[in-house]
Amino acid sequence: MSSSRFRGSSRFRRSSGSIRSSTFKRSRIATCCALAGCILMLASACSSDTSSTAKPEQDSSSKDEVVLVTYDAFALPEDAAAEFTKLTGATIKVVATGDSSTMLTKALLSAGAPEGDVIFGIDNTLATRALAEDLLQPFQPKRIEQVPDSLRLDGKAGEQLVPIDTGDVCINIDQEWFANNGIEAPTEMAQLADPTYRDLLVLASPVTSSPGLAFLIGTIALSGEDGWLDYWQQLKDNGVRVRPSWDDAYYSDYTVSGGDRPLVLSYASSPPAEVVFSDPKRTEPASSVMLDTCVAQVEYAGVLAGAAEPELGQKLVDFMLSPAWQKALPLSNFVFPVTDVELPEVFEKFAPGATKPLSLDPALISAQRDAWIEQWREKME
Amino acid sequence: MNFLSDQRPAGHQGFRPSAVKMGHVSRVGIIVVSAVLLMIALPISAVLLRAIRPDGVWGAEAVTRILGSPRTWRLIAVTVAQALVSCACTVAVGVPVAWVLSRFRFYGRSLVKTLATVPFVLPTVVIGAAFATVLGPRGLFEARGTWLAIVIAQVCFNLAVVIRTVGAALSGVDSNQEAAARMLGASPFQAARRVLLPTVLPAIAASAVVVFLFCFTSFGVIVMLGGGSVTTVEVEIWTRATRQFDISGAGVLCGIQLVAVIATLSIHSRISKRRAVSSVFRARRSDRLPRSVAEWAAVVAAVGAVLMICGLPIAALFERSLRVGTGLGLANWQHLGSVTAGTGLSIDPLSALWRSLLTASAAASAALLLGVLAARVIAQRPGGAADRILLLPLGVSATTLGLGLLLIGGRPPLDLRGSLWLVPIAQMLVAIPLVVRAVLPALQALPASLGESGQLLGAGSIGRFWRIELPSIRSAVFAGAGLGFVACLGEFGATVFLVRAASPTAPVAIERLLSRPAAAGFGQAMALSCILVLLCGGVLLAVDYLAAGDEGLDLAF
Repeated sequence: MSSSRFRGSSRFRRSSGSIRSSTFKRSRIATCCALAGCILMLASACSSDTSSTAKPEQDSSSKDEVVLVTYDAFALPEDAAAEFTKLTGATIKVVATGDSSTMLTKALLSAGAPEGDVIFGIDNTLATRALAEDLLQPFQPKRIEQVPDSLRLDGKAGEQLVPIDTGDVCINIDQEWFANNGIEAPTEMAQLADPTYRDLLVLASPVTSSPGLAFLIGTIALSGEDGWLDYWQQLKDNGVRVRPSWDDAYYSDYTVSGGDRPLVLSYASSPPAEVVFSDPKRTEPASSVMLDTCVAQVEYAGVLAGAAEPELGQKLVDFMLSPAWQKALPLSNFVFPVTDVELPEVFEKFAPGATKPLSLDPALISAQRDAWIEQWREKME
Repeated sequence: MNFLSDQRPAGHQGFRPSAVKMGHVSRVGIIVVSAVLLMIALPISAVLLRAIRPDGVWGAEAVTRILGSPRTWRLIAVTVAQALVSCACTVAVGVPVAWVLSRFRFYGRSLVKTLATVPFVLPTVVIGAAFATVLGPRGLFEARGTWLAIVIAQVCFNLAVVIRTVGAALSGVDSNQEAAARMLGASPFQAARRVLLPTVLPAIAASAVVVFLFCFTSFGVIVMLGGGSVTTVEVEIWTRATRQFDISGAGVLCGIQLVAVIATLSIHSRISKRRAVSSVFRARRSDRLPRSVAEWAAVVAAVGAVLMICGLPIAALFERSLRVGTGLGLANWQHLGSVTAGTGLSIDPLSALWRSLLTASAAASAALLLGVLAARVIAQRPGGAADRILLLPLGVSATTLGLGLLLIGGRPPLDLRGSLWLVPIAQMLVAIPLVVRAVLPALQALPASLGESGQLLGAGSIGRFWRIELPSIRSAVFAGAGLGFVACLGEFGATVFLVRAASPTAPVAIERLLSRPAAAGFGQAMALSCILVLLCGGVLLAVDYLAAGDEGLDLAF
């Protein structure tokens, strides 16, 4: 102790010159520091106040709000939603969390402490991933008998995931582009790897987007488990572009939206959407659909385990099968209803249902999906 | 505990940390350091555990799957390559600019220096947004989804590290030494090579290593500019965890990255040891007005480079925020307070900003408190284990931290996912190393005699800390507070795992807005980015001019 203090004092002599600049008797500085500290503390106190009073989002959704977790592209059918409010007194709050696989993963990561009450948009390709974890709360859906048997899930899965809509994921063709360029539009999946159609196709990634995954499954259904990777190699050699989400592919890259690719992975119901949303108004859609590439997609809804409002959540899922909601789906989200309701005229006219959509055994999809995605990434990325 | 000081090497006599400081406060310090270390180590080990124990069963399935895939090795190679290229470009631009800024006096020099530092304090998402406008479809040229865009953005972001670190070393070189070399017959080139370079080389190397590390683990910039087609290990961790729901695979990648980060950090600490820290010594002012045409040209080139790399993207951001349709207007700014359909946000951007400010100030205050206390412990034992581990979050990928916090904070005994605590905790952990780095040099430069004379005059340990130490390092504390705050405000990589969709922070809101095709969302993202630029720029100015005085901010990497 004493030796160190002694050395210390000798050091004092040596360095006293250089400390003069940082005189320590400036009490003003101390006050300054203290003040800054106080302000910071106050700020933190304020914010921790708000964080303690602003309760988790599910708590803040009081009796009259039901939170619907869904993907970005979902459009709430406003009139039907208003009817739900009239019926139950609860408003629907939509929380969008990215593309459909992102939405599902996010929900899985927060399983048990969900971000909402109801999840909508889990599709048949990802359904088993949702069922493997304790993500959903089983219940008896009311109008389920109105849904065709082929779309319903069996056993406990049927109490967790309720089919709400269907659609066909198909390659869309910009007819005008092909007419202008004097190229005949492709009709079969195999043609997409043809050099005639080099650098013309844009897809959505099966890693992040559910139509992308559906298309991947379509290629496996067509080329078989041995041949599909070769087909993708051909697509790659033919200059296919893969975008992270359907939005990116359709709105940024498709020639109809101003991009540079006249072949895009979209839905069989995209042509009527073009007519409805066109500006200036069109009477005919710009796109046609390659029916041979169509893969059937079913979208499900379920009540999240740990939901703040499970009863309201169940009511919402039930309501999604009501005529009001089912009728509104085609023109709000451009999908087909699962119950027997009248289709809008533009759908009857321009949305051809695929006659024999590509499909695989759900059990096979469930067992192989993650391995396929891994192989696909290995090949394509 | 004073005898500890006797065992330390006797370099830098008179400037090593005071032996008397060890005492009551330090015991608190050691507890704080242990707590912080635990908070960092826990999430990381949770992630690593998932790699070898997926679904509660020990197994090497994920490890063999990831390591056995050629794609993983391609990814690692690409990640290292892009970091090396970005790092080389940053040094190539930064060193000459630093030399010009330290050598020549000209009007607006400190402004240029500040401008070069602005990108470093900006959220990476904002940098990404800025370059998305310059290199996007309606910008100079379309380069999104290419490595070129990413390298340019990384240079912009990291330029400050090189300029500040090398600049500090350069201005520490006494111009008399060079003059003496010239007197003794050396040519200007020889003088620069034999006198200037050896003094500055360690600083260049240290800053290069830090830049490499930042580029290696860069996330926001690549997510924003990569367009999904360009990815690195860091982005892959995020993709696997949040897109593929492959937590164990993500854990393996986190492990790989951790090894790389630790290796890089140990190189850094080796270089740092060779660097003399002497901010108390003031070198003679060696700057002068440019004399010849060549010197003026050098100044113009340096200023031009900074304006091009750092000024242009920010200017573009403001221009874009004012662009409405084909004309100019304030619509994007006016719409900030409203929720716009189709933008993927369920709250309005201003609420996101407000929430961000609250969270960031809470996190930054905590980081400041813990960081200063931790720095005091480290100052006693520079280069020790605490020193290294506390640097980790600076290098450990934010995504690892975020994923880890989600894993440990999302279990039934301690389920914080529904609360708002996880995000500020992550931000705090990211900010602590910055606070430590800002405060540490000042603490180390404090003469030991200062505390000792305080003790001789009867001050207690708390009194010495409060009345002597803290006032002496006040500018460094201000700098640490400022840096910590902007780091918290801009945190993205960890936040993106932890944030709830209904309560995004401002950077997450920007990313969401830009990931959707809606034009209204793009405008809002631009306006929100501009607000963050103004906020972070303001904090930087305050730190640079009010707190740090004419020395400027000491980044001290």
